[in-house]
Amino acid sequence: MSDKPAQGQPDEAMVDLLIKQVTEGLSPAEQRALDVLDSATVSADLREFERAAAAITLAGGAGGEPLPPALARRLAAQAAEHLTSLSGSQSVQRVRDLGAARAAIAVSLPLRAARRNSAYGWFAASACLVLAIFGWVRPPANIAPLAQVAPSVAEQRDALLANSDTIKVTLSATKDPAAAGVTGDVVWDPATQRGFMHFSGLAANDPAVHQYQLWIFDGARDQRYPVDGGVFDVPANAKEIVIPIRAALMVLKPAAFAVTVEKPGGAVVSSRERVVVLGAAG
Amino acid sequence: MTSSLLQRIASGDSAAVRECIDQYGALVWSIARRLSRTPSDAEDATQEIFLDIWRSAGRFDAAQGSDKVFIAMIARRRLIDRLRKTSAEPAMEPVATLETVVWADPGTAAETAIEAEQAARALAELRPEQRQVLELGLLHGLSQAEIATRLDMPLGTVKSFMRRGLIQVREYMNIDAEGVSARA
Repeated sequence: MSDKPAQGQPDEAMVDLLIKQVTEGLSPAEQRALDVLDSATVSADLREFERAAAAITLAGGAGGEPLPPALARRLAAQAAEHLTSLSGSQSVQRVRDLGAARAAIAVSLPLRAARRNSAYGWFAASACLVLAIFGWVRPPANIAPLAQVAPSVAEQRDALLANSDTIKVTLSATKDPAAAGVTGDVVWDPATQRGFMHFSGLAANDPAVHQYQLWIFDGARDQRYPVDGGVFDVPANAKEIVIPIRAALMVLKPAAFAVTVEKPGGAVVSSRERVVVLGAAG
Repeated sequence: MTSSLLQRIASGDSAAVRECIDQYGALVWSIARRLSRTPSDAEDATQEIFLDIWRSAGRFDAAQGSDKVFIAMIARRRLIDRLRKTSAEPAMEPVATLETVVWADPGTAAETAIEAEQAARALAELRPEQRQVLELGLLHGLSQAEIATRLDMPLGTVKSFMRRGLIQVREYMNIDAEGVSARA
């Protein structure tokens, strides 16, 4: 059976394309092959296969893993933002500067990928912009103020520390120049795969020259290849800083944490020429 | 007549937007965890999925299925789109670490959703290797080529098992017999 059926292809090939679409997605060529078919038939059949796939997903036990508390808080903040945007959309005709209003609405809650460098800064900025323009629109009484539903990174760390399963690892400074007088720790919750670094006295870096990178040594993996815990910067005059950990892979047995100095953007495999702090779990 | 949660969201009920997270957060999260490459990908995807749900709640038709299936469809659609965009990256997890799936028992799956019960009954009639292909493809997000490699099975056989399994579930869901299932 061909993966690239032409117009007039056998139905079985069309079914295979539909099934591939609902299980793994189509390549552009496959999508074009599907597009030339009767769109009404394809659309109806596609929806039925999507329903079947969703039903199998439910039968396969989806739903048994509780939402991580920190993610639940972010979703609550996102819900508040969504509702605020809806309120703004409904009132937009009352705003003379329609262009400005659209710009404000367009600044929706950025997803975490967009927050990697500034934690909740984008959220705060978008919330401020929306409120600045739509501040006169009274939100529904049961929506909590945005500032109350978006906990700071430090607050999130404190919340994680309150979890009995969270581990805390004290980091020791090396003789690297950037580490002079540094104290710090890592908190990590193995269940939710979330954690934070906390430093005091870590030297500011110029992101155009170098960046810091966290590495997590997983006892279940090859120790030559620790898990990338994320690249981060320390701004000038930052006496104390809390940074969310962005583990690139699932950490099964967290054994040790280390921060290195790397080229801008970080490294896939660190040369470990400049290790700034490190600490072992348990 | 009582409105479903999705109908309440579509009508602008702000409390329903938040209830949706409480009620379906675990469902969306567990699907996202299985079909994402990393935990942080799963978190990003979960946020995107809830935005999709809130924005598309108006398209929900209770006559065509349950809230849960509608939400699982939206979640799967978004996750497959994300996987497709990152298909050049390494595979999600070593296959050996894939989470073990416990299929719902026919007769009790209706507690989850009527469609889950229908699927469980259909799956119970499949051969174990057919169920395994569906499990790897639909629950763990492996491509058909990856399944063929994993199971040391010809790609054509993987496609055939996938096709027959999905069509059988479709038929149990009382889908129009004149549809694709009759032709394939």
